[in-house]
Amino acid sequence: MKKRSNRLPGRKGSKLFKAMQNVVSILLFLLIWELLVRVLHIKEAFLCTPSSAIYHLFWPQPDADYHWIVNISATLKEFVISFAITAAGAIFLAVLISWSKAIQNVLMPAFIFINSLPVIAIAPILLIWIGYGLKTNIIIAFLVSFFPMLLDTITGLNAQDKQLLDLVNYLHANRWQILFKIQIPGAMPYIFAGLKISSTLCIMGVIVGELIASDVGLGYVIVNAQSTMDTPPMFASLIMMSMLGWGMYLAINLLERLLMPWSFLKDRVDA
Amino acid sequence: MKKLLAVILAVAMMLSFAACTTTKEADTTAVATEDQSATTADAETTEAAAEEPAEKELTHVDFLLNWTIAADHSPYYVALDKGWYEEAGLDVNIIIGQGSGYSVTAIDAGTADIAIADAPVVFQYRNQGAQAKIIGIIFDKHPNAMFFWDDSGITCPQDIVGKTVAVPETDGHKVMWPAFAALIGVDPDSVEFVNIESTAKVSALASHNADVVFELLTGLPNFESAIPEGGFSYFLWSDYGFNCYAHSYITNDATIESDPEMLSTFLDVTYRAWEYTLNNPEEAIDILSKYQSINKDDLLKSLYIEFNFLKTENYKENGIGYIDPAKMQETWDLVNTYQTELNFGVDEIYNDSFLPKTPYTDFTME
Amino acid sequence: MKRKFLRLAKKYGIKLLGITAFLGIWQAVVVGFKIKKYVLPSPVQVLRSLFDPTLAAKNQWWTQIAVTGGEILASFTVTLVLGVALALLIAWSKPLNKLLMPVIVVLNSIPKIALAPLFLLWFGYGIQSKIFVAVLIAFFPVLLNTVTGLIDVDENLLDLVHYLNASKWQTFTKIRIPNALPHLFAGVKISATMCVVGSIVGEFIASKKGLGRLLRSAQANIDMATMFACLVLLSIMGLLLFWLISKAEKLCMPWMNREAEEE
Repeated sequence: MKKRSNRLPGRKGSKLFKAMQNVVSILLFLLIWELLVRVLHIKEAFLCTPSSAIYHLFWPQPDADYHWIVNISATLKEFVISFAITAAGAIFLAVLISWSKAIQNVLMPAFIFINSLPVIAIAPILLIWIGYGLKTNIIIAFLVSFFPMLLDTITGLNAQDKQLLDLVNYLHANRWQILFKIQIPGAMPYIFAGLKISSTLCIMGVIVGELIASDVGLGYVIVNAQSTMDTPPMFASLIMMSMLGWGMYLAINLLERLLMPWSFLKDRVDA
Repeated sequence: MKKLLAVILAVAMMLSFAACTTTKEADTTAVATEDQSATTADAETTEAAAEEPAEKELTHVDFLLNWTIAADHSPYYVALDKGWYEEAGLDVNIIIGQGSGYSVTAIDAGTADIAIADAPVVFQYRNQGAQAKIIGIIFDKHPNAMFFWDDSGITCPQDIVGKTVAVPETDGHKVMWPAFAALIGVDPDSVEFVNIESTAKVSALASHNADVVFELLTGLPNFESAIPEGGFSYFLWSDYGFNCYAHSYITNDATIESDPEMLSTFLDVTYRAWEYTLNNPEEAIDILSKYQSINKDDLLKSLYIEFNFLKTENYKENGIGYIDPAKMQETWDLVNTYQTELNFGVDEIYNDSFLPKTPYTDFTME
Repeated sequence: MKRKFLRLAKKYGIKLLGITAFLGIWQAVVVGFKIKKYVLPSPVQVLRSLFDPTLAAKNQWWTQIAVTGGEILASFTVTLVLGVALALLIAWSKPLNKLLMPVIVVLNSIPKIALAPLFLLWFGYGIQSKIFVAVLIAFFPVLLNTVTGLIDVDENLLDLVHYLNASKWQTFTKIRIPNALPHLFAGVKISATMCVVGSIVGEFIASKKGLGRLLRSAQANIDMATMFACLVLLSIMGLLLFWLISKAEKLCMPWMNREAEEE
């Protein structure tokens, strides 16, 4: 069912305005963080100020060189590759599962089973089996982020208007036509919700992989810094990582806007 | 249909972007490792320029550390930086470690030629069939310690009874606790343990959530910077009779058979680098910082603490890295009695024939 | 009656057969390739760790299950309540939405394990620390899905009720909330399994008992069989919770899909 244009008047230049609102929101958060640390006199060994973290990120430090470019690009590469694989894989599996009840009965319990395994607990086992590096991080990120994507897509594929389905059945539509013309377009909102959840999980999975087993990347910087309670680079990495996650979230929003332009004439909720 | 094409296009774009970053990343990591090996390459080229005739073929050695970069990893980078490994015919690739357990499994699987691991861990894995042997020692004195608040009423280790101790379950301290408890005459179960992440040791103490925290003495600078006002103290386990081996160099049984010369050469260069590090700590940390992202001040403090475990009478007399059979036997006894019943004799776990022929003893004792 | 029984037997019989075949292959592989115990334990070793009296007593399985189970249920309840409440707030008020969503999205992508030292400092190591960590990890899917469901309503319907002079409150309760139910349940299912994960992460950060702690302990003793046993138990808990929610979903929304009716 198409969700058409809305009744609220669109605002001129609302895209820019929306982007600004996001930035303002984040800046406000950083400001509160900064104030809390200063006012409560929290020791730097436990929680540093955002200004200190950002300073460590952009200005070379006299007593340490964090090789930011190398580490950030390593993490970015892992993120993009694992997210692409996760998204494509999850959609494919979801289509497979909604296609046939038999497949659903076999695969779903397996996936729920896998998803309940705390990746952080499996990581030592993966380390022994696969070693560490890009491969392992992709697997960990996939394990962490595929399930929400899968579930949302399945729900979307199944949540079709019964009358519409009856109509096309009456018109002798075959399974493929129903899939591509009715189910997938109808599932788009769900797919995009799933993509958004999965993107944040994916970057988290990549970092968790790097925390547990790696020698390059933002997660590695965090581990290295944690051993000496060097919190500024640690939080700088976390900030950088959030930016990567947010960037992907915005990219997905952009894609959603492109593919489902009608749903954005509503003054919508998310970024 | 159009929408589907759009989705496929988008996915394809993402994948091609990923592919681009792959090639870009390959270049950047190449650049990074270029930086690292630049110095060694220079050493090599000057070497080759100096002696034109023989193009020495270097034996490749994959050397796996026990954890992320710490102060006690500086000697390897010193040796790398000064070209000592190349001189001796070795092309050493230093790999960041992921824990003693990983080191042993990597040695067993052949992923690494030589590695650093905690001695008791090697014993445990060997008991389950891992083909790993100890060929050299790093810390002569065990660095295990317990940190506690002065106002918790603890005046000696025995006062730990009834207290809450925060330590990760996977930590060497927790694993060897029954052994230490027996040594100081305390029931191991008379203490309440809280499992924490290893990164949280300092905050566990600082927050007063735990009375006692088990940590290596090398972690003292961390406690000091997080609790600058002081008010806490520590006991070193080895001061109370804990005579056990800790960080050691290990290799595979098969490597001992097939490549004994490589092992001897590696240990010789490495212990020479240790001697140099003991005499020039600041330079060692400086060199380390060239290759790895570290905080120089913190690691220098850590290195000085580590000297306590290296500058011992035993090492002064017998050379750095010396394996004392009696101490190895004691380690075997401790693991056998308090951890797992061992199905092999102590002679099977180590091989000291690769230690330097002329031991390195030229360091100052203070 | 007999036909229904046969149908059920066939359905579960196939699943059981599949699992048994899988276990059989696993055992054969471990024995056949002489795989070392610390690389991959055999199913027999894992089962022994669970059921052998001496081994099981050492691990205190029931205590650990009770502790972790409690954490999962408690955090799930809090996640549900908090997630839905926050979603209602955010969908109701646009300014709040614009203010909170970006921050929540950004914060959600931070791996909580990286903040272990901070969490220990702030939350201590009682059961509350596990619940806090688990909620932080699991609430986002519920939140996002419910918000999507509340906002993403058929325009025609909104136009109609607007024309009929429905108040914002009426629109909210009679149109938006029912529309959000499928989304809510999808989100709740995702969050349920994440509560399991979150409880374990919470236990890794600070715990005295529980399956997470036992996992770490087994890891230290290189007892892969017990590690695997813990993981299996955790997954079963996740499966159980997921199944319960599916049943609840069918109760609340019997119209949902024709496959549901077939079941």
